[in-house]
Amino acid sequence: MSKEIAFMEEDIKIEEVKFLSGGQALMECFLAEGVDTIFGYPGGAIMPIYDALYDYTDRINHILVRHEQGASHAAEGYARSSGRVGVCMATSGPGATNLVTGIADAIIDCTPMVAITGQVASNLLGTDAFQETDVIGITTPICKWNYQVTDPDEIPLILAKAFFIARAGKPGPVLIDITKDAQIKSMTKPFDYKPIEGLPGYHPRRVPKMEQVEKAAELINKAKRPYILFGHGVLISEAMEEFREFVEKTDIPCASTLLGLSGISIDHPNYMGWLGMHGMYAPNVMTDQCDILIAIGMRFDDRVTGDASLFAKQARIIHIEIDPAEIEKIKKTEAPVIGDVKEVLNLLTPLVKKGDYTGWKNEFRKLEPREKEAVTDRDLKFEGQIKMAEVVKMVSDKTKGEACVVVDVGQHQMVTARYFEFKRHNSYIASGGLGTMGFAIPAALGAKMGAPDREVVAFIGDGCFQMTIQELGTIAQSKLPVKLIILNNNYLGMVRQWQQLFFEKRYSFVELQNPDFIMISKGFGLEGEKITERDELSDAIDKMLAHDGGYVLEVVVEKEENVFPMVPAGRSVSEIRLT
Amino acid sequence: MTQYTICVFTENSIGLLNKITVIFTRRRINIETLTVSETVRKGVSRFTIVIKHEKREEVEKLVRQIRKIVEVLAVFGYLNDEIVYNEIALFKISTPIGGKALDIDTINRIYKAWVVYWGLDYVTIQKTGTEEEIFDFFRYLKPHGIIEFVRSGRVAIGKTPQGLVEYLPEDQEWEYYL
Repeated sequence: MSKEIAFMEEDIKIEEVKFLSGGQALMECFLAEGVDTIFGYPGGAIMPIYDALYDYTDRINHILVRHEQGASHAAEGYARSSGRVGVCMATSGPGATNLVTGIADAIIDCTPMVAITGQVASNLLGTDAFQETDVIGITTPICKWNYQVTDPDEIPLILAKAFFIARAGKPGPVLIDITKDAQIKSMTKPFDYKPIEGLPGYHPRRVPKMEQVEKAAELINKAKRPYILFGHGVLISEAMEEFREFVEKTDIPCASTLLGLSGISIDHPNYMGWLGMHGMYAPNVMTDQCDILIAIGMRFDDRVTGDASLFAKQARIIHIEIDPAEIEKIKKTEAPVIGDVKEVLNLLTPLVKKGDYTGWKNEFRKLEPREKEAVTDRDLKFEGQIKMAEVVKMVSDKTKGEACVVVDVGQHQMVTARYFEFKRHNSYIASGGLGTMGFAIPAALGAKMGAPDREVVAFIGDGCFQMTIQELGTIAQSKLPVKLIILNNNYLGMVRQWQQLFFEKRYSFVELQNPDFIMISKGFGLEGEKITERDELSDAIDKMLAHDGGYVLEVVVEKEENVFPMVPAGRSVSEIRLT
Repeated sequence: MTQYTICVFTENSIGLLNKITVIFTRRRINIETLTVSETVRKGVSRFTIVIKHEKREEVEKLVRQIRKIVEVLAVFGYLNDEIVYNEIALFKISTPIGGKALDIDTINRIYKAWVVYWGLDYVTIQKTGTEEEIFDFFRYLKPHGIIEFVRSGRVAIGKTPQGLVEYLPEDQEWEYYL
């Protein structure tokens, strides 16, 4: 009798199928999406997810950052260098709020990111529980989409939506907040993951309407002085080849926005440089001369246009853009083409004719000596104290322009954009729209994870370096051979420059008492060297590039160097200053 | 300042009102009235938002930005002459013994308003109409002593022959419709 009961009990046990817990389901979603790298930091409300991760460490590489802001910037760096979705994780409350800067950075620079945050158990929501923050409320204005999961059964569908939304159309950050009980509880059904390709409220148009393409082609074919401005969209859409073909077929001169840098090789005969507040002279002023402006994957940021009402006001504008909300947001547009840059160019290039723009292109070239004389020759004079430009130029030469360059925010960012000679695509990773100081160290480590075969070199100001200095520990622990160059002028240089030019040299809180950066780096376990003399520079860079592992090179540069050209904020590009 | 009526069709989910209103907040546009309810299509909500603005193009930009919200299925912006619209208002009017009698005939015939509740010393009158009609009636009732007055947000329907729901994506098209 008792034997029989035991037998029956065993039968029942076989019937009981154990479904995945919420945490395990999340890991399976990551695997299904091909996620192999996560940047994160554990804490109370995300512990069940980290417990599930423990069994997946053979398939998912988790990078333990030192501060959650580092996780979100690292995810950005990863996404920007690899073109894949960057994933970061943090716990509830302070963990989640620390992600915020990186999320805001990702939305404005169109970086695909999925952020996972832990949340207090659903029965505690709204009770001011320990480490409870309304993360959904906080991140709503800065996320492409966010959602709070309270039931593990939702996880496969929500994560599929999250990855689709992060990637589709104009990429951006998605935040998924998962309550602790939803991480622990088991699903009530088998795990089933189906990637999503469209949503009722979100199905961005990739292939443009043919009549829009035809109208654009008609304008281009009639143009006498056409001018292409291209942005990040060319890189995001991986349309670099199509773009080059378009430029070559039409023979139209082109210029890049800051984030469009490396979209086309710097030696291309039609490439005139980049434009914007600290962009090059000819590309900026020629916006006042063109008759047709072809804007490709860019959004007329105020750092590009200066006073937007005066920007290219004589030109008829063609705007190729995936996000309909960008059309006419800033500039009246005669021919909008809504679609993915790659798809648009595939349809547009066959319709356009080659024009004779030799004279028009020469007008750009004729302006170049003015800038060379006033700015470039002065920056590369190799006299007095070391200038930032020399360092950038030398690293560019020594890496043959092939390095993936990550920059922080400020003067060094602009100098790097000016003097690094980009030969490969996706090579300028910067916080463009948000201008986030502290971006570079974590973004560089993320970029290296995303493109392990590439040399990743970061140029960082002394102010920026101290904002996320703790991530040196992450670089050391992950054994990432990231090369960090501090361009140290002992000032918050860009702010100081503005104070000099626009605030009568009233240097208000811009001078820093800096620590011994190399001693700190060594403390974290990274090799490093500080140099102050020009004749040490070449050897120091060689040593840095040859070093097998993370490395910090501090270069003491001229204290009160200014970045020119400069279009004063809110002024017309015609008011560009060369000195 | 021109009045605009913005109709937003959304999936019916938590936090959506916030997702929509932050766009107004960012652009410093004040919401004059707001009405939300479920449409004939289950799981689809309709927001009717009234704003005042000087520049039509700014309103168009606002509409395009609302469209960017993932859960938003469609957005339509209207001028007043493009829609039929109404609000509803309730008035609590004091009717003490010996006080001035209410002229129910005028209230019914002229103002198209109805007494919907009789209290001991007061009545509650319901009036539907445009903002102007409601305030016209408000001025008429004022001498009687208005104890309380409440107005709803606007509901509006376009003057086009089609219904707006026809513009929404079909459920069946979307396998993963939430």
